Amino acid sequence: MHSGLLVMTADMLSNGIDSLIGNTLITQFIMVILEIVAIFAVISVAVIIQVYMERRVCGFIQDRLGPNRVGPFGILQTVADMIKLMSKEDIIPAKAERVLWGITPMLLFIPAALVYAVFPFDDGAIFTDLNIGIFFVLAVMSQSVLMFLIGGFASENKYSFIGGMRAVAQMLSSEIPMAFSIMAVVMVTGSLKMSTIVAAQSGTWFVFIQPLAFIIFIISMTMETNRTPFDLVEGESEIIAGPFTEYSGMRWALFFLAEYTNLLTAAVLTTTLFLGGWQGPVLPGIVWFIIKVFLMIFVFMWIRWTFPRTRIDQMMGFSWKILLPLALFNIIATGIGVYIYNWMY
Amino acid sequence: MQGKGLLTGLSVTIRHFFGKKVTVQYPEEKLPMSETFRGGKLVLDQKKCIGCRLCSMACPNEALDLTVETDENKKRHMKKYIHKSGRCLYCGFCVEACPTKAVTWDKNYAIACYTRTDLTYDAVKSDGRNETHE
Amino acid sequence: MTEAVSKVIRTEEYQLSMGPVHPSTHGVLQILLTLDGERVVKAVPCMGYLHRGIEKLMESRNYFQCMPYTDRLDYVSAMNNDFAYCRAVEKLAQLEVPERAQYIRVIMAELNRIASHMIFIGSLAVDVGATTGMIYPFRDRECILDIFNELCGARMTYSYIRIGGVKSDLSVKVIDMINVFLKNLSAMIDEYNDLLTGNEIFQHRLKNTSVITAEQALQLGLTGPMLRASGVNYDLRKDNAYSSYEDFIFDVPLGNSGDNWDRYIVRMKEMRQSAKIVKQALDGLPEGSVMAKVPKVLRPPKGEVYVTTEGPRGEVGYHIISDGTVKPYRVHIRRPSLINLQALDLMCRGYLVGDVVVAMSTIDPILGEVDC
Ligand code: SF4
Ligand code: SF4
Repeated sequence: MHSGLLVMTADMLSNGIDSLIGNTLITQFIMVILEIVAIFAVISVAVIIQVYMERRVCGFIQDRLGPNRVGPFGILQTVADMIKLMSKEDIIPAKAERVLWGITPMLLFIPAALVYAVFPFDDGAIFTDLNIGIFFVLAVMSQSVLMFLIGGFASENKYSFIGGMRAVAQMLSSEIPMAFSIMAVVMVTGSLKMSTIVAAQSGTWFVFIQPLAFIIFIISMTMETNRTPFDLVEGESEIIAGPFTEYSGMRWALFFLAEYTNLLTAAVLTTTLFLGGWQGPVLPGIVWFIIKVFLMIFVFMWIRWTFPRTRIDQMMGFSWKILLPLALFNIIATGIGVYIYNWMY
Repeated sequence: MQGKGLLTGLSVTIRHFFGKKVTVQYPEEKLPMSETFRGGKLVLDQKKCIGCRLCSMACPNEALDLTVETDENKKRHMKKYIHKSGRCLYCGFCVEACPTKAVTWDKNYAIACYTRTDLTYDAVKSDGRNETHE
Repeated sequence: MTEAVSKVIRTEEYQLSMGPVHPSTHGVLQILLTLDGERVVKAVPCMGYLHRGIEKLMESRNYFQCMPYTDRLDYVSAMNNDFAYCRAVEKLAQLEVPERAQYIRVIMAELNRIASHMIFIGSLAVDVGATTGMIYPFRDRECILDIFNELCGARMTYSYIRIGGVKSDLSVKVIDMINVFLKNLSAMIDEYNDLLTGNEIFQHRLKNTSVITAEQALQLGLTGPMLRASGVNYDLRKDNAYSSYEDFIFDVPLGNSGDNWDRYIVRMKEMRQSAKIVKQALDGLPEGSVMAKVPKVLRPPKGEVYVTTEGPRGEVGYHIISDGTVKPYRVHIRRPSLINLQALDLMCRGYLVGDVVVAMSTIDPILGEVDC
């Protein structure tokens, strides 16, 4: 039944290992390890591509060319930056809470990567198809706020501190409208399972059925990923870099990595929930999936390089007073719609 | 309506995304310098110089250190024309002040150097453009 | 918060030193903020990090040699500073500037005003987080810098306006460049309007923040766009016309509420007015020489003058005392940025941290001028 390219490859691989070792348990174990490695590989490659893309998009929008020196078309620029960051001196502020301060960047990466376990990349290509998939995503994603807070506090820097406080305020206000906008999708599908949500969109994408939810979701996702117009947590003209102010070198690179992983998460989520996931004609599912994800990433970048930043009170007022009521209204409307639909058919 | 401005903004940026780029790719392409460009190093044409010191007198920041020699015919000529470019304001007063137009800019703007001593050079030793003072 | 609760949860104000190493202090300015959460209780600008002692340096140079230093005060609008200085010296030495030179000075001063306002728009945009909004004005400003480069060989420190006139006459190429620029300017401003002015987020950030009433503005001695944004109609180009400004028809844009938005809009409108002036001046450029008869060694008679000129940031005043020698006895410069910066505390008090950077931007200080 599953015909996706990824699944076929995985099956082939597992059959191969199976015939080599002949023990199903060990084969499964190896496959799990391979899958974990695959997730990290996907994330790292995606981040490198995104960073390059962000610079190029930014450059093009600003009438510049962006990086075009290192390697052909500058594609190795990110690699060069990585090398630079890795070779930097590791500076720990004298007054920082060393342990907390040190583990924050690593901890931040965990929730960012964890959500990939439940994303359907292709038909059947999902690591664990939890029956509470979307709920799991929400729960895990909201963990990252803790790291921001810890990092902000542990740095013993007032800018970081303000940034940490802002992170809490912002994530709280973004997560609730986001959850409610997802709720509408869940109501239509009748399932929290990611694969079911995607399957339900084989006819019409949810972006057409739930346009309001889509817009609310995009907006709250920009808040969630700390990107302009809601990049208050690290608003560099105000609080320098927020919680990351004191981080440099490799530690800062981890923050960077988490940030772009989150952006990827945002794009993947939007694709899964509203743009029909891996579904599309002719091309294999994984290709459609990648196209859609990068289209969404482009939209997020386009927004970032166009808009100014909001102020913290405006952002909170906007999300509590406008987004949340809208999302609630959307739920009620969806409820009525679903009821009428069921009643008619 | 709220939100219209946001969309207009997005349309501006997407136009530029596909539009022509304006930057000059420096090492390959170089901007032409104007006739009047003040910058680079000073070049002294020793044949023209009459050793009147008007240039160093016009200099606001004492960036010129001249050594004038009088030869047997009572004719003055420049022995050393030290330009301390670290002090220079690039105002061009020296060039303007010269009655015989003996001193000019070489208009080579890539004059960054590694050490402080490289900033000071002797303009007499040129035609030697870009030569530093040892 | 009720009494009982506030006893348990102790809150306290804290100090945040914004700058001198901070991305948005426009140079090296330190703002000592006293904050209550994110709300500003007090903002004290600490300056002096860029002090070079220019006033003192001028005392040891002759009147001509002071010119390059005035360029370095407000390096973003060096023409206007040179203009102010030259007018002061000319008044001191009773020099009559030829009309053609006066017109050329006006053209250059207004072009430089446009360039300076473009910097303002750009830095305001980047301070509210719209990076692209910074790039476009800076890109367009290059056109003006190219004109200046063609004209006098420098892009920043021009030393073009000289005591008694200007350094050189306009070449045909420069006139062409100015005409082309004027033709394009309208489209450039429209683009900023599309990208920034119309943007609701931008409007929300600027409107009703950092309000200065007309009365407060006058008490603080604000000048330039800062003052006019509060609704006070005071522009030296109109009220005390100098250098043939009376020949040109232009409006003085005024704000009414004195908030950040008005300060932005006033400058936006001023750019169009400046372009209008340049156009008129170019069309009506009189014939004649561009330099008065200035003695090679200038010894102004004993005495003192105070001459003010309308710069892009406000009133640039030069107070020069002459003791009859080739060097000024004392020069004092009224730098508009310094005086406008005094309003910072008023503009920040009670607003949020995010407003501080916006307030800073709409003051539009140039630290070279603040610290002198
Ligand atoms: S350019 Fe100006 S500062 Fe430099 S040497 Fe010539 S006169 Fe002196
Ligand atoms: S360079 Fe010109 S001004 Fe200087 S000493 Fe020689 S002739 Fe005189």
